[in-house]
Amino acid sequence: MSRIGVFVCHCGENISRTVDVEAVARAAAALPGVAHACDYKYMCSDPGQNLLKKAVAEHKLDGVVVAACSPRMHEKTFRAAVKAAGMNPFLCEMANIREHCSWVHEDRAAATAKAKDIVRMLVERVKHDKRLAPITVPVTKRALVIGGGIAGIQAALDIADCGHEVLLVERDPSIGGHMAQLSETFPTLDCSQCIMTPKMVDVANHPQIRLLTYSEIERVEGYIGNFSVTIRKKARSVIETKCTGCGVCMSKCPQKKIPNSFDCNLGTRPAIYVPFPQAVPNIPVIDRDNCTYFKSGKCGVCQKVCGPGAVDYTQQDELITEAVGAVVVATGFDLYDIGPKPAGSPIEGYGEFGYGTIPDVIDGMTFERLASASGPTGGKIVRPSDGQEPKQVVFIQCVGSRAREKGISYCSKICCMYTAKHTMLYHHKVHDGQAYVFFMDARTPGKSYDEFWRRAIEEEEAVYIRGMVSRLYQKGEKIVVMGSDVHVGVQVEIEADLVVLATAVQPRSGADTLAQKLGISYDNYHFYSEAHAKLRPVECATAGIYLAGACQGAKDIPDTVSQASAAAAKVMTLFSKDQLERDPVVARVNERFCVGCLACKKVCPYGAVEEKEIRDRQGNLVKVVAAVNPGVCGGCGTCQATCPSKSVELDGYTDEQIMAMIDTL
Amino acid sequence: MTPTKTLLDYSYYPGCSLHASAKEYDISTRSLFRALRIGLHEVPDWLCCGATPAHNVDELLSLSLCGKNLALADKVNGDLAVSCAACFSRLKTTQHKLTTSDSRRVQVERAIDGPVPLGKPVKHLLEILAKDYGLEQLAGAVQKPLAGLKVACYYGCLLTRPPEVPELDDCEAPTIMERVITAAGAEVVDWSHRLECCGANFTLSRPGVVLKLTGDILASAKRAGADCFMVACPLCHGNLDIRQQEIEETTGEHFGLPAFYLTQLLGLACGVSPVRLGLDSMIVDPKPLLRSKGLM
Repeated sequence: MSRIGVFVCHCGENISRTVDVEAVARAAAALPGVAHACDYKYMCSDPGQNLLKKAVAEHKLDGVVVAACSPRMHEKTFRAAVKAAGMNPFLCEMANIREHCSWVHEDRAAATAKAKDIVRMLVERVKHDKRLAPITVPVTKRALVIGGGIAGIQAALDIADCGHEVLLVERDPSIGGHMAQLSETFPTLDCSQCIMTPKMVDVANHPQIRLLTYSEIERVEGYIGNFSVTIRKKARSVIETKCTGCGVCMSKCPQKKIPNSFDCNLGTRPAIYVPFPQAVPNIPVIDRDNCTYFKSGKCGVCQKVCGPGAVDYTQQDELITEAVGAVVVATGFDLYDIGPKPAGSPIEGYGEFGYGTIPDVIDGMTFERLASASGPTGGKIVRPSDGQEPKQVVFIQCVGSRAREKGISYCSKICCMYTAKHTMLYHHKVHDGQAYVFFMDARTPGKSYDEFWRRAIEEEEAVYIRGMVSRLYQKGEKIVVMGSDVHVGVQVEIEADLVVLATAVQPRSGADTLAQKLGISYDNYHFYSEAHAKLRPVECATAGIYLAGACQGAKDIPDTVSQASAAAAKVMTLFSKDQLERDPVVARVNERFCVGCLACKKVCPYGAVEEKEIRDRQGNLVKVVAAVNPGVCGGCGTCQATCPSKSVELDGYTDEQIMAMIDTL
Repeated sequence: MTPTKTLLDYSYYPGCSLHASAKEYDISTRSLFRALRIGLHEVPDWLCCGATPAHNVDELLSLSLCGKNLALADKVNGDLAVSCAACFSRLKTTQHKLTTSDSRRVQVERAIDGPVPLGKPVKHLLEILAKDYGLEQLAGAVQKPLAGLKVACYYGCLLTRPPEVPELDDCEAPTIMERVITAAGAEVVDWSHRLECCGANFTLSRPGVVLKLTGDILASAKRAGADCFMVACPLCHGNLDIRQQEIEETTGEHFGLPAFYLTQLLGLACGVSPVRLGLDSMIVDPKPLLRSKGLM
């Protein structure tokens, strides 16, 4: 007869509000094989865990059921507790009476009855639990960082400074991301380039960092500590080892009229280019879609003028495969497009703001490039349409953000602050100009943030109007801004020279595709999901993958850098051990019954099933069977459901256990 | 003259305005649809939709009036065709509110003492012409293209809003009026005040508000080089047409912009005799413009 202990948790009121926990404990005590049952307010707390440990010793328990929350939440906690009490941790199971019961039901009597059923099933399952031993797997102490913005740069530098090798992969020809595009940064107004470019150089010079720019993730296989990543190095058409970065090719390229996306299409660039003068690496790339040679076969000027002979038109995309132990995802954000609604997008456009047809209606990033000393105007703030200095500038906040009817309900977090900064930069450069800001709320909860915002109003003379704008239209050279001032209760019309929209922060395009390659989850907006909103904010639910920066949610630079360092710390924790312990919930093949049909191999999503030859003592082949690599097995159970001869089973979820659970219902 | 065979058939809810101040909208709607061989069957005994006053005073009254109309319309075959922007908005709002709230539906059913059928599609004339009849077929029915006529399509504030109710077109940047009238050969102007409010029924209580708002609309259309307006709402029409002279006197700017109902312009294009389109009821005389473009 088993001696099982059942511990029913109130979870404060989360469970006890709907489930009569005492009745559940009493019912459990009467079950055959249960030696002890009790209830407690917070089982996961220190006194709760002590209660459990004491009961294991006192009642000589050989199995434990904790009726509480989801095993995803606290299975680890309670297994550690029973282990400390000298029991095999895999003899402890969670009966989920919170997510699966109290949270989703209202009827107390029915919920209590269901909780009793759940507990009874788990008691039957524990009776068939085996003493399992953890599996150890080696850890490759080498990290992959995806994205070379400030988040990826910070994470890469931190990990590399700790002595581990880092592979930094960036989609664009240069690292730097959005921060390299900014003019000055809030709340201190220090120049973005001045604080960003040294870090970019550090990355390039770091002996432990291998930088792969103009590259994308093709495929990710494996698991925590043992990922195998295939990276597509896009054809640069310039041999990186030969190029000296002299720039002659760029100055001689006859094609110079290509809109420069780094400058938000305000300026132009040649077909062979580096995105900006401080690019890292300072190696150009040929934009094949716009290059005369690639379009017509004629030209070839850059190859002729290149002294070291670095230009190579025949270069092909290259696929390289690398082994890494951890992945930091830092793919950043895009700004909501103020242009027409893209086909198939759930996000509505802004027809009332001219659908991006009025040239002097620009977004915040375009204003950054206008204000930047290294921008297309050398830092002179002018209208894109005619190059005139704007004397009245209207800034509109919350364009896209907090607009449920347009498809986005969240706050983009950075716009209040950068708009305040924009009014200051404008005031510093156009002394007789006037800045107006339409805002819903001013959200400035950061260190020195509110002071900064007040300064924009009190010292830099920005006029803040609380209310939204209903329409923008061109009237001669002016843009008429029709809005409301809800404090005064009047309609406002301003004839502006330039309108700047603080558009919403969205995840990078293609964020969903990358998530599917990595096997990580994302929300409705394609922001990547952290494992726990409060307690595990930098880890993905998929072990060994960590998040940094705006790919997880809108963030400013200080928060991004903090999260990047936190992700790096998590990677270093992982790398601090040579071997990693994994849960032994893996599939096991019964070789006596296996007929070697290998149906399991076909369905295994992890590629964990191999063929194994069984030979007799003379070395003659007896049969071929399936074998599961426990290091790779993800414990999903697909093979168990597929096997026609019932000869593969998942430890902890055997057929015997499942049948016992069903039988007791 | 009854057409021998109709291509499409609709139940028809004209609404109070179309039996009174906007009679020419009703006349031209019937004439145009006859020319296009679209059958219109007026719902017998229909009630006022309640318009703005009812839903401002009592939501249940407003929903019940439209609930009753939906029940009456259910007895007539064909989707429900509506020409007035306000009636259209009230009927669609009622359908929307009663579909999304069972408790409201029960209240209304108690008030009108019978069930409210919610399944019949309520369609604005624009929707019928652009989607059901189709722009290609419409272009094929044009006998006298409106070539050279520069039209400012005026939606007003109600026709496309709020987006979840009319579901007619993009709420803030619609093109359905432009698509319909260009199918009849007219030229459309790109102008700023297509969706601004004209002041609506404040024309009686706060005329000053209307003079400002409608004045802005007139000035914007003039600036864009329009010859005339095309409207789909009796109240917008009233403000643009009746108040135009007064606004000209206040601002000193001459507009001279006739405001046509869409059915009047399309009727002209489809060869309907001008006498059957109620052009005589317009305050800003459209005849000089139409003559100058060779359309009359």
